[in-house]
Amino acid sequence: MTNLYAAATRDELWLHGRLVERRLAHGLAIEDEHGIRAADARDDALVDACDAAMDELHAYVVPDARTRFVVEASADGVTRTIVVTLANRSVVTTPEHFEHDIALLRDAMDGDAAPRSLPFLWKHGSAAVLLHEAIGHPLEHGQPPIELPSWLTVDVPLRQRRASFKDVPLERMTNVVTRQHEAPFTLPEERIEIVLVDSGAYDPLTEVVTLRIAAANLVERARVQSMAPFTISEARRNIARAIVGAAGEPLRYPGVICSREGQELVVGSYAPLLLTELA
Amino acid sequence: MIYSKRGSVVRWENGALVRVKESGVAHERGELFECHPDLERRALSPSDVDASRLVEVVRAVRELAREVTIERLIVIEGTAEHEYGDHQWSDHTQRIHLSLIRARKRALLDLASFDLRDVEKVAAALARTDGVEREAPRRLRLAPNVTAALLPSLVAIAPPNVRLVQTAGGVDGYGAPVIESAGPWPNAYRPSYRVRPVRMPLRLRIECDVTDIERDRPTAIALTAPISMMDAQLLARVLIDDGQRVFPSTVRIARIDAVSAPAALYPYGGGSFGAEMML
Repeated sequence: MTNLYAAATRDELWLHGRLVERRLAHGLAIEDEHGIRAADARDDALVDACDAAMDELHAYVVPDARTRFVVEASADGVTRTIVVTLANRSVVTTPEHFEHDIALLRDAMDGDAAPRSLPFLWKHGSAAVLLHEAIGHPLEHGQPPIELPSWLTVDVPLRQRRASFKDVPLERMTNVVTRQHEAPFTLPEERIEIVLVDSGAYDPLTEVVTLRIAAANLVERARVQSMAPFTISEARRNIARAIVGAAGEPLRYPGVICSREGQELVVGSYAPLLLTELA
Repeated sequence: MIYSKRGSVVRWENGALVRVKESGVAHERGELFECHPDLERRALSPSDVDASRLVEVVRAVRELAREVTIERLIVIEGTAEHEYGDHQWSDHTQRIHLSLIRARKRALLDLASFDLRDVEKVAAALARTDGVEREAPRRLRLAPNVTAALLPSLVAIAPPNVRLVQTAGGVDGYGAPVIESAGPWPNAYRPSYRVRPVRMPLRLRIECDVTDIERDRPTAIALTAPISMMDAQLLARVLIDDGQRVFPSTVRIARIDAVSAPAALYPYGGGSFGAEMML
């Protein structure tokens, strides 16, 4: 059996309103029992679709930030991704969510409050990143699931995905959608509120999840202080055991770019407010 | 001026054989970097790389690693022809990226040739480990593959007793000769036509006035994780063979006592030469 995969990609990088990098890529991969043969063949319709989508994205250049646009066209349709970076923090967004996500990015303040042993309240859907690492990647690696609270479900559809025509398709997440069903929830008066996650990793050998928190607030009753970036590193079973509450509908987290085997893919991420008590 | 590259690569990636043929051009106009495929030049691409040798290498690695588990195996061979202005050059690349595991411990190898002596040594040692993390011996010898992985990170630290030097040989991303230099770095690294060239050391080696290596010291034979920084200090997580036991440990790179003459080139940064090092 022969599988064909054709794609075109345009990407641009804008620094403080000036275009500094512009790339076009296109190619075709033919997969059969002998492996994958790939070449940079051009499908004009796919390239034209990329060009049209990129023209539309130019309305979203952020003049005081680093803005990266990526448009990909394939048989699955056209995707548009915008990554905005401001003061070492970034969001991954789309035209539909641009205003909301940029406001979140601008609200994330730099601070110097040091981490303390307090419950974490995962806001703005950021718990989806935690569960992406603790549930999604183990699923990709075929590892057995871990027990979650009965009131929490995590839906992680997998499918064969690849970052470019040159890559080997891998079983990868498309979305992480977390829902709570009449979960307990008591807001601690003292807590750390997670606002933005910079990066995450999962080691399938040690089953340890590592998250770099880019923006968080230390809340002590009425007093709220911005925190310096910090790292959480914990075994996935401990993370599951630490989930003690949740509230509300799933919120869309502004984007996760997931990297595995050097292939970067956008994964949709949704989670309600989630409360964890990590030791 | 325009940079152009055409090449052919065959890659074994965790069980999949991938053949890629592509050609592209890149130009820098002021601060703008642009690149795109160039189908006209692709017709002139070098002929396909023979995959049979690659398959032989894969078979040999599997045989050498039969007493441990291969977590990840990527073997690459490629040829490329480059042009920049009046400069024309070509290169031939071989790479092995290997991750071996046993007793929930990992050993990493990144090689710039199909010489499998490091694979044989590390696989045999890993097969003897009990996986118990132990304190690093006070006096330690680093194998050339471990030293090579350290070098790009050492550039930023400039430790006492040693000199980090770019080794003359070959050409850089603009076709200019790579010259002997201890910085500022005169040459540019261009790993792909899709990447803007960046000034950095190529073919890096480390020199020390003391070159005698004590043979009876325990030896760090492989990394168990990529080099990292903690509290402004370089941290190497390594597998140590003390002659009796093989165990994982964490080494803080503080003082370097001696470095032997450079040996093979490894694919870290813009290339770094391995050498035995004494801590």
